Amino acid sequence: MILISSLVILFGCAPSYKQMQSAVADVQVLQKFKPAFSVALYNTTVDVVGNHLSGLLLIKKMPDSSTRMVFSNEMGFSFFDFGFKPGGDFKVYSIMKKLDKRSVIKTLQHDFELILMNNLDNSKAVVKTNAGFTYFIFPQSKGFNYYITNQSGTELIRMERASNKKTIVEAVMKNYINGIPDTIGISHKTFEFNIGLKRIER
Amino acid sequence: MRKIIILMLVLVSGFAVKAQYPGYTAVADLAKFKTAFAAATQKTNSIKADFVQDKNLSMLSEKITSKGNFWFKKDSRVRMEYTTPFKYLMILNKDKAYVKDGAKESKVSTKSNKMFQQINKIMIDCMQGATLDNTDFKTRVFENKTSALVELTPVTKGMKEMFKSINVIVDKKDFSVVSIQMQELSGDNTIMRFTNKELNAAIPDNLFDIN
Repeated sequence: MILISSLVILFGCAPSYKQMQSAVADVQVLQKFKPAFSVALYNTTVDVVGNHLSGLLLIKKMPDSSTRMVFSNEMGFSFFDFGFKPGGDFKVYSIMKKLDKRSVIKTLQHDFELILMNNLDNSKAVVKTNAGFTYFIFPQSKGFNYYITNQSGTELIRMERASNKKTIVEAVMKNYINGIPDTIGISHKTFEFNIGLKRIER
Repeated sequence: MRKIIILMLVLVSGFAVKAQYPGYTAVADLAKFKTAFAAATQKTNSIKADFVQDKNLSMLSEKITSKGNFWFKKDSRVRMEYTTPFKYLMILNKDKAYVKDGAKESKVSTKSNKMFQQINKIMIDCMQGATLDNTDFKTRVFENKTSALVELTPVTKGMKEMFKSINVIVDKKDFSVVSIQMQELSGDNTIMRFTNKELNAAIPDNLFDIN
């Protein structure tokens, strides 16, 4: 409930990209928000066009520096197993037949890439400001990833994936403990698709 | 020559079975086993137990352990309550299912939801001793002194997409389920072990209510 409330508050103030003004800020401030997943287990809820499902998402940093994400239901049946490499490579290790669709995989890949913050090429970053927030903008193969901080760069307000004109996805990472966010929320703006993650202590 | 080949095949298949499930041998008289299984489960009207579930992620060298409580009551009613490290409640009552994860409650008709239908059938069949008659699987049975291992290999399309095999180990003393192991196509597996079993314990009907 707290997660949903904070998503509503934060996502209630989507930016108007046209109103942003150029600014100067050190892109390195984002590094402290990059989640330092060694291994973390999250209680996960997914709401997609009227359907609700829940389960567990295990995120683990592997010896080859890739990050694996395995989503299974509470009884242990795996829905998917994805691998993300630091350079941007992505691999589907397994996925249940029902989800094995290009559009589903691409959507999940881009959503998780936004929160993993692996593909932040500082040389291509653009910095802008609007309404007291700093927008760090990273061009992607399609559209842009936005990381929005307060003016002093001490707080990550939210993240966005957007086209030239509109926001496609908004995400938050909150309550970092030893570099790992306790709460993660991903909310799509063009259709009903929300992912909520709450870390489980093991 | 033909006799030698047949003898070799028998020996090889015998070794394969032994290698597959160390300590177990194939049940010689399956009909007798089925009769004993059915007779024992006939006498079991309810089961109350604790369970520990381990999901083994082979490629990630990780194990997710969860614990909870289990109730079964004839006919076709199961309540599973995960308590650690997360809270999750699932009630299966004939063709209805109820799930509570966090504050969210969902009711599902197992007739319309294939996954719940399959979970429902596997769980209920295991408890009611009907596992050997489930036509979704090809069945082989192995045994040692104290337990029997029922190996279920999916034959239907839906099951084949979900599982490589499901192994159910039952205690030969009362044919109650000791563990259920689900082997996934990816190589990962989940083992659910039942402990502190109480057979024919008094279990109130309202534990399985889906309102």
